[in-house]
Amino acid sequence: MSPVDFIKANWRVLLLAVFISFSLFFMFYPGQVIGGDDEAGFSENQTEDDTFHNIQFGLGLDGGTQISAPVIGMTVENIELDLDDPEDLEEEAQSIQDTIGDELGTETGDLLVRTDAEHLEISVEVFTDDYTAAEFAEAIQAAGLEVSEDDVRDGVTAETRDDMETTIESRINEAGLSGTSVSQAEMDGTFYIVTEAPDMTDDELRDLLEDRGVVEIVLHYPDGEGGQLNETGLEQPDMGDIGSPSIDSETGQHYVPVSVNPGAAEDYEALMQETGFTQNPGSCNYDASDAEGSNYCLLTMVDGEVIDAHGINPDLAQSMDTGDWSSSGNFRMMTPSQEEAQTLAINLQAGELRAPLNFDEAQSYTISPALADQFKNYSLIIGALAILTVSGMVYLRYGDRRVALPLILTALSEVLILLGIAALLRMPLDLSHVAGFIAVVGTGVDDLIIIADEVLDDGEVNSRRVFESRFRKAFWIIGAAAATTIIAMSPLAVLSLGDLRGFAIITILGVLIGVLITRPAYGDILRRLMTDK
Amino acid sequence: MGKFEVPEIDYTRYTNRQLAAVPLAVLAFALCILAGGYVVYGTPVALGMDFAGGTELQIETTDSEADIEAAFSEEPESVQAVQAADNQYLVQFPPTEDDMAEQAESNLAPVDEDEGVVLQSAETSASFGEGAQQTALLGLGAAFAGMSILAFVLFRSFIPSIAIVASAFSDLVIPLAFMNIANIPLSLGTVAGLLLIIGYSVDSDILLNNHILRRGGDFYESTHRAMQTGVTMTVTSMAAMLVMAISAWIFGVELLMSIGLILFVGLAADLMNTYMLNLSLLRWYKFEGIAR
Repeated sequence: MSPVDFIKANWRVLLLAVFISFSLFFMFYPGQVIGGDDEAGFSENQTEDDTFHNIQFGLGLDGGTQISAPVIGMTVENIELDLDDPEDLEEEAQSIQDTIGDELGTETGDLLVRTDAEHLEISVEVFTDDYTAAEFAEAIQAAGLEVSEDDVRDGVTAETRDDMETTIESRINEAGLSGTSVSQAEMDGTFYIVTEAPDMTDDELRDLLEDRGVVEIVLHYPDGEGGQLNETGLEQPDMGDIGSPSIDSETGQHYVPVSVNPGAAEDYEALMQETGFTQNPGSCNYDASDAEGSNYCLLTMVDGEVIDAHGINPDLAQSMDTGDWSSSGNFRMMTPSQEEAQTLAINLQAGELRAPLNFDEAQSYTISPALADQFKNYSLIIGALAILTVSGMVYLRYGDRRVALPLILTALSEVLILLGIAALLRMPLDLSHVAGFIAVVGTGVDDLIIIADEVLDDGEVNSRRVFESRFRKAFWIIGAAAATTIIAMSPLAVLSLGDLRGFAIITILGVLIGVLITRPAYGDILRRLMTDK
Repeated sequence: MGKFEVPEIDYTRYTNRQLAAVPLAVLAFALCILAGGYVVYGTPVALGMDFAGGTELQIETTDSEADIEAAFSEEPESVQAVQAADNQYLVQFPPTEDDMAEQAESNLAPVDEDEGVVLQSAETSASFGEGAQQTALLGLGAAFAGMSILAFVLFRSFIPSIAIVASAFSDLVIPLAFMNIANIPLSLGTVAGLLLIIGYSVDSDILLNNHILRRGGDFYESTHRAMQTGVTMTVTSMAAMLVMAISAWIFGVELLMSIGLILFVGLAADLMNTYMLNLSLLRWYKFEGIAR
């Protein structure tokens, strides 16, 4: 037989062999396989240093925490502006934001007007649940826009959600945690931010997500009438380079070194001079009643809470007074402890979380690494038992090893190929995927039984032509059955219904591989075994 | 060891009415149970934590079950020991504001001081569950509709297609009623099981329709052949699912247990529906329907 004939006669089996070898390669080839982004590679180094395979495990089989939470806020989108000059859009938006802000009395960072230069439209979002939809609509009306209560919807804009995703990601990176993923999921019209973190407990992840991280430096100074005034001096966007948390060796004070952007630095310097800070260094006795009316404090505030209050250093005061400071803009943000310096640095680096998450309407899931490890073993045992059962049944039914043995091997090769694909795509495997594998073995065996019965129908298969025609008949049924399974599973693969997505994806992939590669090969193997005798 | 043979049933002894009566009666009974559930609880099947909200903890503690019941500010809905592991329990709570995991850590004695009490915790708020419920309904509906359309596309005639759809519908309703009786709440796992039933159960229906309609030969001969293959398929799958359900129950892996159990029941229902309901419809179609 010439090589070409050989390939022609055995292409189905050869194709299966190729797929199996590739899968084995992807699963066991040490180190990084083709492609893959750096982030995923990083996580692999962290968590799976000493494994001999490339298969990644998800939360449920590796331990960790997942929190899905909706975003707090209200939004009015697509408000058209009547502008003579499109150039004025930004300016107009800013004045609208100020008007609405005054009307509602929102705190820093709780209100945002976004512009769409192409359609000359704006959207208004408020990131708190302190107001009703009616109040919100009224405030927007006060800015001269035609908006009714019905235009107000719960939730925030897609841009804000993307923004939050980025912030959470960088927060987690700043905190030095790896293997984390942040994504969005829509369920019944509500969008959820889904954060998954291996190696983290529920409380740890919650701490990281809970804070908005709106950082401000507030000037706290005498109003001249025995009271005190507060004025925001610096905000997060004013700061350029953020240094790493440090400690002053002389005073023992913890701080985060930052450099204030040019422009903002000049403004800040001017403000410090106007308010009299530069003339009164070191005179801060925050919260002491007898110092009321004479305090010159710089307050480090996070989410509206004062975490530290300090007077200005005499050297700094002098360089600000002379106007030298603004050329460098170097500044120390004081914190009471090392830990808070760390958090502050993360908040400054990652920026603020645009809107807060609503933990009251959230879903969270945590599993300890120890239990996850047990689950790994359990699912192996359960899978093995299921396959053994199937093998036993098939053997009982046919009583012929020539039929039963390749049938079981073919079913197993489907799982193997799926694992190879999972390793290649770096798909983190969870319990739901395991359920998918078992489902694939189930449908696989069904199809193989159909092929076996069809091919063995009416005694010996003595010619290639007879085999091909019988095989085609069998294939029609298998194809139809596969199509229904895929259709039944596809809603789950698209909808974000928690764990079930993995299950559906594996089942669909498995059915496709089965129908296109492994199951036809089984027919070929069967023909050889039955005719060559 | 005995050989597993598919028995040959003499269908000529039964009329179509007789054949269809049994599955239809079972279906009617199942629908009554679901309707009863709807009247009494507001939903046909009790909703599990995934859909109704609530907290589930898997804990490891040396304390007794009675101590566990008393350890929380909220009374647990259920406390269930894990078969394969000593001192491990699954504890479920209705939706609550309080942090149950924290209470478990502070009020219960851990087996190992270095490890905590809580091994696994899942907390779903009521509103999240509500959303999941709508999504799951949508998914089930879309899957069923898709399957029905495909059945019509494949066979292009009304009776054989409607036979597939009717038997798939019954295959879904019967396990749901079973869940109601056996007090198994609807969870993500059981929804996955239900969707798989749509996929699996249609296999044997397609096989039967294909053998009877698309191939020549005697009706009973075709039926017998289809049954040889179809019953083997279904029984094999049932065995695998039963083993999976039992072993997953022993190990306390809920997701796999519910999928296995639901599929087992669904496939059993499918045996009845395919070879009684679907068959009687096809026989009527073949001998009387076409003649009209």
